[in-house]
Amino acid sequence: MNELNNITAEGKPVEANKNTTERKKNKPKVSIIFKSILGIVALLIVFSIIVSIIGFRNFTGALLEQYADGAFRTANTAIMEFDVSKIEDYAASGGTTKEYLSALESMELLCNSSGSTFIYVIRPDRSDYKHITFLFSTINKNSDYTRYEFGFVRDTTNEDYMEKYRRLYEGESDQELVIRDKGYIETDPHITAMVPIKDAGGKTAAILCVQRQMDNMVHVRNTYIGKILFVMIALMILVIIVQSIYLHHVFLRPVTKITEEASRFSHENDLPEQKLSDAVRNNDEIGVLACSIDHMEERIIKYVDDLTKVTAEKERISTELNLATKIQASMLPSIFPPFPNRTEFDIYASMDPAKEVGGDFYDFFLVDDDHLCLVMADVSGKGVPAALFMMASKIILANYAKMGKSPSEILTAANATICSSNREDMFVTVWLGILEISTGRLTAANAGHEYPVLMKPDGKFELYKDKHGFVIGGMAGMKYKEYTIDMKPGSKLFLYTDGVSEATDSENQLFGTERMIAALNQKSDGSPQEILQNVRSSIDTFVKNAEQFDDLTMLCLELKEKDK
Amino acid sequence: MTIKSKKDTGKLTLTLTGRLDTSTAPNLEETLKESYDGVTELVFDLEKLEYISSAGLRALLSAQKTMNKQGSMKVINVGEEIMEIFEITGFTEILTIE
Repeated sequence: MNELNNITAEGKPVEANKNTTERKKNKPKVSIIFKSILGIVALLIVFSIIVSIIGFRNFTGALLEQYADGAFRTANTAIMEFDVSKIEDYAASGGTTKEYLSALESMELLCNSSGSTFIYVIRPDRSDYKHITFLFSTINKNSDYTRYEFGFVRDTTNEDYMEKYRRLYEGESDQELVIRDKGYIETDPHITAMVPIKDAGGKTAAILCVQRQMDNMVHVRNTYIGKILFVMIALMILVIIVQSIYLHHVFLRPVTKITEEASRFSHENDLPEQKLSDAVRNNDEIGVLACSIDHMEERIIKYVDDLTKVTAEKERISTELNLATKIQASMLPSIFPPFPNRTEFDIYASMDPAKEVGGDFYDFFLVDDDHLCLVMADVSGKGVPAALFMMASKIILANYAKMGKSPSEILTAANATICSSNREDMFVTVWLGILEISTGRLTAANAGHEYPVLMKPDGKFELYKDKHGFVIGGMAGMKYKEYTIDMKPGSKLFLYTDGVSEATDSENQLFGTERMIAALNQKSDGSPQEILQNVRSSIDTFVKNAEQFDDLTMLCLELKEKDK
Repeated sequence: MTIKSKKDTGKLTLTLTGRLDTSTAPNLEETLKESYDGVTELVFDLEKLEYISSAGLRALLSAQKTMNKQGSMKVINVGEEIMEIFEITGFTEILTIE
């Protein structure tokens, strides 16, 4: 199946054209192949330099050894043919005796047959070895040099020679070798092998030297180095060609495919017609990369799908919450003045939930012509659960109130009802009062709610510390006590939830009831609406930029004076 | 808020520090749920509790209801501000406060 896909893909010229244009767009500045080959070439150059140096040294060493060997062999042969006992006779001969000439002739033969440049016998000046006197001197017939005559005296070439002459005379060694192959000498590179000629007493009487030219060796060595360089250059070219082809095949081609696919995916955001792991079938890291990209593409597409779904879901929830906010708001009496034809009292209330929907609520309604029921309540927690609980509580409380029960009876009955079906241990704090409008007599009960605030006519707002019962819905069988307040015309009543007293600034400071009372008294003779606005702006000033943490609900009732 | 819990054969003492509100009450509920097993006496030390919201009260109420079934529960070292909240909400009626 994979094979089939491969063939199909390669047989699509349209696809290939598209890829080519994209490749141009994303062309790298320097090809990775060029970089890789550059590295290998640098390595090869270093390698060939090292090989050349090692080769040069070994070659020089081996050839020198061979030359020295030959020279010493010649020297020893010469010594054997030389009649040591006659050395003093030769020295005294003046180079003309028959014996001397025959010895010189045999030495000349040896010089030519052994391929040496010079063979000579010398006696150095033994005081400082700075001068040498030639006893014998022969020269190869193919050489351009001229021979030194018998008794010729010349300066010792350098200190190296002096030292070696000295060692041979003083018996410190039996043979010495001088190598002169550096560029600074005026003659051709050569070696000189030296052996002592010893008399019957074992003392050195003269030194026999064999000199061989090494120009041949230098020539061979240069050829050798040249060959190494040639091989290295050939190897480099070969490596460059082979490596280019190899890298292109196993590396660049699949990587280019991956690059193209990544670029295609970022533009089109859908799965490719052919999986990358099918197009790139390397069994190495590149293959793994291709597989990873396949997986990544699949996961991104799945993720985007999920995200789209989640976003849609969120939008749906948000729409529903908006609707819920509207429903909740419409559950609370929100048209002011609510009773336009009742001049005996004025009432104003507001609720600002911290989230879309809240757990706070206020309520007011006429039970009958003379009785106004007021409710201020706060459900534990916030958001949707609190809002659901709030809806139930509001309806239950209103139903019991409309049955004509007293505040304590309403709360007791509501608690029993709510407790019977409250598995989540949610509860609601409720302040509920019923005002007899004609007399101003307020009967109220408090189920765990904040203290109400009262203002006597022309007086100041003050907390009214009423008796508290337990919250509603918390525990079955709770009983609630009620109390009465006689409100004179001109009195005001302010009800609120803990969102007001516990409004918190960014440093976790609570607004507190004291600040609330102060805000109420800013303009205590204002209308209920003005008073609520004062409290609200005071809270806003206090909390500044801190997020509103709890629902904020307030209600203010004013019992108007009769003549107004 | 931090919860420090100390268990001593059937007696579990939880020391609460900081603010027990909507965001931290679930932690307390979680801790309680994990450690109810075998507890016959549950003690809340509220000396370092700075604030308790209705969500926190709800957690205490749940604990009280659970302990009503399997033993006893009390709240100790209640500060003035927390005490005021307990009084306002009527929790003084259902909690054993020492």
